[in-house]
Amino acid sequence: MLTSRAATIAGYVAGFALLFLVWHLASVFLVRSVLFPSPWPVFERAWVLIEDSILQEQILASMRRILQGFLLGSLIGIPIGLAIGSFRPVRLLLEPWTEFFRFIPAVAMITVAVIWFGIGEESKVFLIAYTTVFVVIISTAAGVGAVGRDKIRAAQSMGASQLQIFALVALPATVPYILTGMRVAMANAFVTIVAAELVASNDGLGKMLWDARLFMQIEDIFVALISLGLLGFATDRVFRLLIRAFAGRFNPTM
Amino acid sequence: MGFVALDGVGKVFRGRTGAWEAVRDFTLSLDEGEFFCLLGTSGCGKTTVLNMLAGFEAPTSGRIMLDGRPVSGPGADRGVVFQGHDSLYDWLTALDNIAFGLRLRGTPKAERRATAERFLKMVGLAGQGAKHPSELSGGMKQRIQIARALANDPRILLMDEPFGALDAMTRAVLQGELSRIWAETRKTVLFITHDLEEAVALATRIGVMKRGPGGTLKAVVPVDLPFPRDRTSDGFMRVFREVHALIHEEIHGAH
Ligand SMILES: Nc1ncnc2c1ncn2[C@@H]1O[C@H](COP(=O)(O)OP(=O)(O)O)[C@@H](O)[C@H]1O
Ligand SMILES: [Mg+2]
Repeated sequence: MLTSRAATIAGYVAGFALLFLVWHLASVFLVRSVLFPSPWPVFERAWVLIEDSILQEQILASMRRILQGFLLGSLIGIPIGLAIGSFRPVRLLLEPWTEFFRFIPAVAMITVAVIWFGIGEESKVFLIAYTTVFVVIISTAAGVGAVGRDKIRAAQSMGASQLQIFALVALPATVPYILTGMRVAMANAFVTIVAAELVASNDGLGKMLWDARLFMQIEDIFVALISLGLLGFATDRVFRLLIRAFAGRFNPTM
Repeated sequence: MGFVALDGVGKVFRGRTGAWEAVRDFTLSLDEGEFFCLLGTSGCGKTTVLNMLAGFEAPTSGRIMLDGRPVSGPGADRGVVFQGHDSLYDWLTALDNIAFGLRLRGTPKAERRATAERFLKMVGLAGQGAKHPSELSGGMKQRIQIARALANDPRILLMDEPFGALDAMTRAVLQGELSRIWAETRKTVLFITHDLEEAVALATRIGVMKRGPGGTLKAVVPVDLPFPRDRTSDGFMRVFREVHALIHEEIHGAH
C-alpha cells in the first residue's frame, strides 16, 4: 500500500518534470519567441507574484467562487437527481428540464448572469452552480436507476419498507455515482470560472489572464495557466481520494 | 393443506414480443421442515416459480398460500438466496450484511452483532466479518447470502441455483455445509437447481419440471436416504437413476 502510494507520487513528480522539460526544449529550440517563454522566467515571475501575495489572492478568489457554486449546485442537484431516479412522475416532469438546460452551457449564460446579478460574486457563484447542477442531477439519477434489482429484492424479503429501501439501499448504492458526477462537475467549474472572470470580474485567475493579455505580460499568462492546471489536478485528486474512501472498496475502477 | 401451497399457479409474461407462458398449472404442497429441490432444464420456469413464491412477481392464475395466508408481495417470512451475488451490499461489511434484516427491525446493536456473529460462524466464516463483499470469493459471498437470509429467521428459505456459478469443488463443499445447516436449523427450504447430483445430495423430495413453454411439475420423487448423503452409495445411485430417467426426456427435447 505504502509502496504503491510512493510509486504514484514518484510518477507524478517524474511526469511533471518531463512536462517542464519538454516545455523548456520546445521554447529554447523549437519556437524561440518572446511570446513563448521557457519555464524558468515563468517560475521567477510566479515567485514574485507569490511574494507579493498577488497570486494567492487570485487563486483564493477563483477557488472561493468555485467552491461556493459547486456546493450550492451539488446541494440542489443531489436531491433532485434522487427524486428523478426514484419516482417516475418526477422523471417525466423534470427530465425535459435537465435535457434542455444541459445543452445551454454555462459560458452561454454569462451574459444573463451579469445582467441579473451584476459583476459581483453572485453572478460567478450562479454560473458555477448552474454548470454543476445538471451534471450532478443526471449522474445521481443514473445511479439510482442502476441499483441492482436483487439488492432491492433482498431488502424486500428481509422486510424493508419503501423508506428503508431508499435510505439503506438506494442511497448508499448511489454514492459512487453522485461523487463521480461531482467530479465531472468540478472540471466544468474550472472552465466556467475562467470564462466568467474573463468577462466580468475584478479578480481571480481569469481576470489575471485577461489583464496580462492587455499589458502583454506573457509570463503572467503562463503563471495563471499553470496555476489552473495544478489546482484542477489537485482538486481532482482530492475527489479521487474521496470516491475511493466512500466507494473504492466496491468499485476498484474509480 | 401443506405449509406452503401453490395451487394451479400460472404465469404469462406479456411484453414487446407478445405473450409468453412461462409456468402453467403448477401445483405443489410443501411440508414444514422439508428440503424440496425443484429440478428442471434451463428456461423451464424454475425462477419464475420461486419469484412468485417470494412475492417478486404476481401469478397470472392460481393461488399461493404460506401457512394458510395468501402470498401478496415479498416479506420477511420468506428469505431469498439469489443465484448471483449482486444482492449483497458492497458498502457494508460481511457482518453488517448478515445483520441487515435485524437492523431493519430495530434490533439493538449488541444483539444484532451477536446474532450476525453466530450465523457468520455457522457458514464457516468466523473471524472474517470485517471484510467487504469485494474482498470475498464467490463461494464466500454465497455463504454470506445464506447467513444473511437465515439471520432474519424466515419461515422458509428460497434458494435460486445458489451454487450455479461456483466451481465444482467449492460447490460440493457448500452443498455439504448447507445440508449440515439445514439439519441444524430444520428450516423449510425450496432449492432450485438444474444439477441432478446436487438435487439428490440435498433434497428430501425432488420435483422435476417439464420443459417450457408452460413449464409445470412433472413428477415428485421422495429421497429417503440418510444424511449426510454418500454419493457413492447404492441408494444414491438408485435415486439418481430414477430422477435421471425423468429429466432425460426434458433434456433431449430441449436445445
Ligand atoms: N420478465 C420476463 N418477461 C418475459 N419472459 C420471461 C420473463 N422472465 C422469464 N421469462 C421467460 O420465462 C421462461 C422461464 O424463465 P425462468 O423462470 O427464468 O426459467 P429457469 O429459471 O427455469 O431457467 C423463459 O422462457 C424466460 O425467457
Ligand atoms: Mg433460473
